[in-house]
Amino acid sequence: MVTALCSVRVRRGLVGLLALLALYGLAAHIASGRLPTRVSLAVHEIEGVELLPTYSSLVEEGVFLVQAGILLQGAAVSTGRVLAGLLLGSVVGIALGLAMGWTAGFEYALDPWVVLLRFTPALALLPLYVLWLGLGEAAKIGLIATAVAVVMLQGAYQGVRGIPRVYWDAAAALAAPRSLVLRRIVLPAALPQILASLRIAIALGWVTVIAAELIKPSMPSLGYLLALAGAYPRVPTIVIALAAIALLVLVSDGLTLAAYRWATRWMRRRYA
Amino acid sequence: MHRTQPRKVRLQVDDVAFMYEGGTRTHALDGLSLAVHDNEFLAIVGPVGCGKTTFLRIVAGFLTPARGTVLCDGRPVRAPGAERGYVFQEDAVFPWMTVQDNLEFGLRAKGAAPAERHAVAAELIRLIGLRGYERAYPGELSAGMSKMVEVARVLATDPAILLMDEPFGSLDAQTRGQMQDELYRLWEKRLKTVVLVTHDVEEAICLADRVIVFSRRPGRVKAEVTVGLPRPRPLELRLSPEFSAIKRQIWAGLGLAEMS
Repeated sequence: MVTALCSVRVRRGLVGLLALLALYGLAAHIASGRLPTRVSLAVHEIEGVELLPTYSSLVEEGVFLVQAGILLQGAAVSTGRVLAGLLLGSVVGIALGLAMGWTAGFEYALDPWVVLLRFTPALALLPLYVLWLGLGEAAKIGLIATAVAVVMLQGAYQGVRGIPRVYWDAAAALAAPRSLVLRRIVLPAALPQILASLRIAIALGWVTVIAAELIKPSMPSLGYLLALAGAYPRVPTIVIALAAIALLVLVSDGLTLAAYRWATRWMRRRYA
Repeated sequence: MHRTQPRKVRLQVDDVAFMYEGGTRTHALDGLSLAVHDNEFLAIVGPVGCGKTTFLRIVAGFLTPARGTVLCDGRPVRAPGAERGYVFQEDAVFPWMTVQDNLEFGLRAKGAAPAERHAVAAELIRLIGLRGYERAYPGELSAGMSKMVEVARVLATDPAILLMDEPFGSLDAQTRGQMQDELYRLWEKRLKTVVLVTHDVEEAICLADRVIVFSRRPGRVKAEVTVGLPRPRPLELRLSPEFSAIKRQIWAGLGLAEMS
């Protein structure tokens, strides 16, 4: 992990990130006082809006949001929803995907549904979920779980289908029972593909949670904060909330990448 | 000349036929009969596509014949079983498992206790000369070493018969020679009944008690040659007139004699 953090790719990425942040600071500095401060939101005309907040106002806003506890609470609520949705969606998706990859019957039965759901954005289900599950947590978590499950199902399915036939035959020739094949052949062999899908699913989970929170804002969350800041409107709050989301996505992606590297350690050790 | 005396029959194959369905039906085997005796090393050679691998996969229980019977120790073969060990043409060691876990897999399948698994794995590691590589992944081994791990993994469950499908086909000539020596050593120590499918006539003569030549598709027994050469059979033996005579017999069976 330490070597991964010091790698050339990471260093170059940091340089690019810092360069962009510096450019933003410069642009905001030049723009301050020059940009219009009047915006029209539908029928309202609002004065005193900072369209491109400078770093000083961002820091001020950030300190306020942290001290008031709004940012951390919002982040905790949104993260909790993503994690709950990920857990539920992964368990269901992986189980169905493995079953589909392993048993032809499951494959025939589920394949049409997978094709349909793959091209349907999970968010399209929001009205239905709200009617079924109410405005509370269940609808949002259910929505994230659906988006995650579709991605994880495909990952697990492809992971199983990608296992070369010779390994199935070898396990059968050694008279391995199904439980052993599941634990020692199917899961470890499909794990790299499953974790690669998890990276996509996590990103999708964050997209879905923020969108769901924006559309149906209820208790304090990052999406709620964004919706509120957009209606107010307060651009510094929007930027801070976006930065918080970006940071959370980056951290969760890093953790999944670490898990992926652990699961594929046998691939990298090569005979020289 | 030891161990060439036929004892009890391990594997009895009677009038087996097999067809691959598909766009065109392919008669892979037709009217194939043969017997393998206890502790016999039998090699099967034949032209490409003669059904050698199909035959071995039927004996392993991966394929069901359209006609005929296969008996292993008197019991009909219906599905794969641990008493019929199989060494694949491809690389079949599990790359996500360490050498140790690969060797223990068959015993795990049998539900053996950890102590027994460790003991057997340790003995096999010593036997194939891979001490110190217990925690290595197959990707860290050479192709030849990896193949020996596969052979040892099959031996761990002590099968009644060892089926080998061109196990060294993908190795270079030098490594193949080494592997043949290793295999012979293992066979000496563990006293196994072996059916080896190969396209390498010299490999067959070096290792086998008896060589069966398959005909072109549909495959059946076309010729049978008993290799009466003393063991062990060092590399120089390949230059001897006796070796050449056996080779000529097999070539005749393959329909190549007139070319020599």
